[in-house]
Amino acid sequence: MVKVAEKIKNTKKKINSLDFDAHWYRRVFHAFGVSFLFYYMLPNEDWINLLKIWVPPIIVVIAVVLEILRLKGKISSNHFFGLRLYEKNRIGSYVFFAVAILILLRFFPQEIAIPCILCACLADPIMGEVRHRFGMKYVYVFGFLMCMFFFMVAWYKADVRLMLLVSIVGAFGAVIGETKKFWWLDDDFMIQILPAALLLIIWIIVPYFGFSHPEPIIYQSIMPW
Amino acid sequence: MKKEKVYTKIIRTEILFTPLLVVLPFIVGVLLINDWYTRGFSVNNPAFNSELILGIIILVGNIIFDIPFIKSLKALSKKKI
Repeated sequence: MVKVAEKIKNTKKKINSLDFDAHWYRRVFHAFGVSFLFYYMLPNEDWINLLKIWVPPIIVVIAVVLEILRLKGKISSNHFFGLRLYEKNRIGSYVFFAVAILILLRFFPQEIAIPCILCACLADPIMGEVRHRFGMKYVYVFGFLMCMFFFMVAWYKADVRLMLLVSIVGAFGAVIGETKKFWWLDDDFMIQILPAALLLIIWIIVPYFGFSHPEPIIYQSIMPW
Repeated sequence: MKKEKVYTKIIRTEILFTPLLVVLPFIVGVLLINDWYTRGFSVNNPAFNSELILGIIILVGNIIFDIPFIKSLKALSKKKI
């Protein structure tokens, strides 16, 4: 009897350690997303432009196919380390994450896309950690300030009034996108697309108010040959 | 026994992706800082300062999560589940 109790205790410990590990795995996976900003550094060459057109959608299609196979039970969920319990029977958040990044890279100017990607990749896991350690009430303030910082960095070349407007609107959209949860639409998608949609409106109307769009944040590399 | 096999499998997947998850953002951050140095700082062009800030954000943001992640991996490998 004592042995059984001990075994149960040990198994619980192992499971807890795995949960903790998955927790950090999810955080690192989020932070890894910033690697996609390399897209903007690629030089303007014909063959590279072709890769830029085809590689990101191919990655997303692979993720979608894997997810369909997982949901149909053809691939075991055990192969997808870091999945949350509620993701067992719905589309995994990594697919939403990838689709949102693809939309931003392809259809939005980099001045909008880069801070939104930073919000999802860095602000989101940091907000999660703040929630985990200090509680929900600090998440809004900390998340707002952090997202605001990312938008300010991306728009610091613009007029100061425009930079302030964009950083407040962008941070507001990102925090709402992160904290508003839907079963069918993941926060990893909303934290990127909601601020991007709000900023796209500003981007369109900015010239009518006499402001000019800011210069790019990342410049394309030049081939050495 | 079966559960232990599943644990081993998922941990293997995790370890397999670790170098990519840790190294790739680090490379992108360093490339941005290098670009700032070669095309910005060395020719006195302040337009590239944004690449420096972004590079630092990427490096710091990743290091914050990489350290506890690698620590947890080490702790897990010591347990030998």
